[in-house]
Amino acid sequence: MELIEKNTEKCLIIGINGRLDTINYSILEKRLMELLDQNTNRILINCSQMDYVSSSGLRILLMALKRITMAKGKFALCSLQENIREIFEISGFTTIFEIYPNEEDALRVF
Amino acid sequence: MAFFIHFKDPNSEEMIRYLSSIPKCPGTCFFMDINRSTDMKYLGGLTDWGRKLNNTFNFLSLLNDFPEYIVKGIGDEIMLFIPDDVLKTKSAINSYYMLLEEIYATLYNIRHYPVEDTFLACKVAIHYCTEVYNITYFEGANDYYGSDIDLTARLMTKCLENRIVISEKFLNKVRNDLKSHGLAENTGCLKNISEPFLENFKGVPMSTKYRIIDVE
Repeated sequence: MELIEKNTEKCLIIGINGRLDTINYSILEKRLMELLDQNTNRILINCSQMDYVSSSGLRILLMALKRITMAKGKFALCSLQENIREIFEISGFTTIFEIYPNEEDALRVF
Repeated sequence: MAFFIHFKDPNSEEMIRYLSSIPKCPGTCFFMDINRSTDMKYLGGLTDWGRKLNNTFNFLSLLNDFPEYIVKGIGDEIMLFIPDDVLKTKSAINSYYMLLEEIYATLYNIRHYPVEDTFLACKVAIHYCTEVYNITYFEGANDYYGSDIDLTARLMTKCLENRIVISEKFLNKVRNDLKSHGLAENTGCLKNISEPFLENFKGVPMSTKYRIIDVE
């Protein structure tokens, strides 16, 4: 898995490339926690290149959502592939995350 | 496919020959129980507890990844057995460490899900089984019997809500995986693992070492 960051005026966009699984979720965890410790709390996760997510991956997204919500920041996801969307739906994550069809739509609400 | 055992003659020599030929089937056994599901049924109707059970079972990712290895559900307790041969062939979750970490993450996600009354808390016991056979006494059924299956059920007695109890035997398999993945011994949920406990479980002739992982 590779993380690709892009700074915009409104937020930091993190693109996840590859699998967010049980072996590599700690890469995303470490980076998100660093950012939150630096008070970077407006983050958009672009999932267009993320082709798998495990429960461990979902755990890190949930942790980040909780921390950012407490800090009154904004955390959203965009461009979920169909198989990832199904996982989000079945686990109730579509109810608790702001999810947008693409980066452009997501940036409008930041 | 389980070995079907059904002989009409109780003293059948053929039965003895057949039983002797059945190989062991090493693998990982899970008992998962949904907490407080019995009292909940007294408090609400099917639309309430039925919904929460549906949501919770859907949420247990291992059940979706290994649907054909759910051996049985008794009430709200599920037994899952994943043979080693099967685990190795999976593309997503294919090691003991991954199994443990997935279960931990699932319990964490249920515990921290921000909308109340959606899911039910769970408790899980995990044991690595070597004394186990893929047999059934009922035609068409799949089942696993053996002293290690019984021990997994005994470990369940040490479980509480949001707790995973694992045998030392399973932990050793997890540690081997961590080494092969190049990860530290205290990676992920193992940061929260207890010191070992020793217990003389009913019917088990030797002490059993086990550990507790409480979900943060």
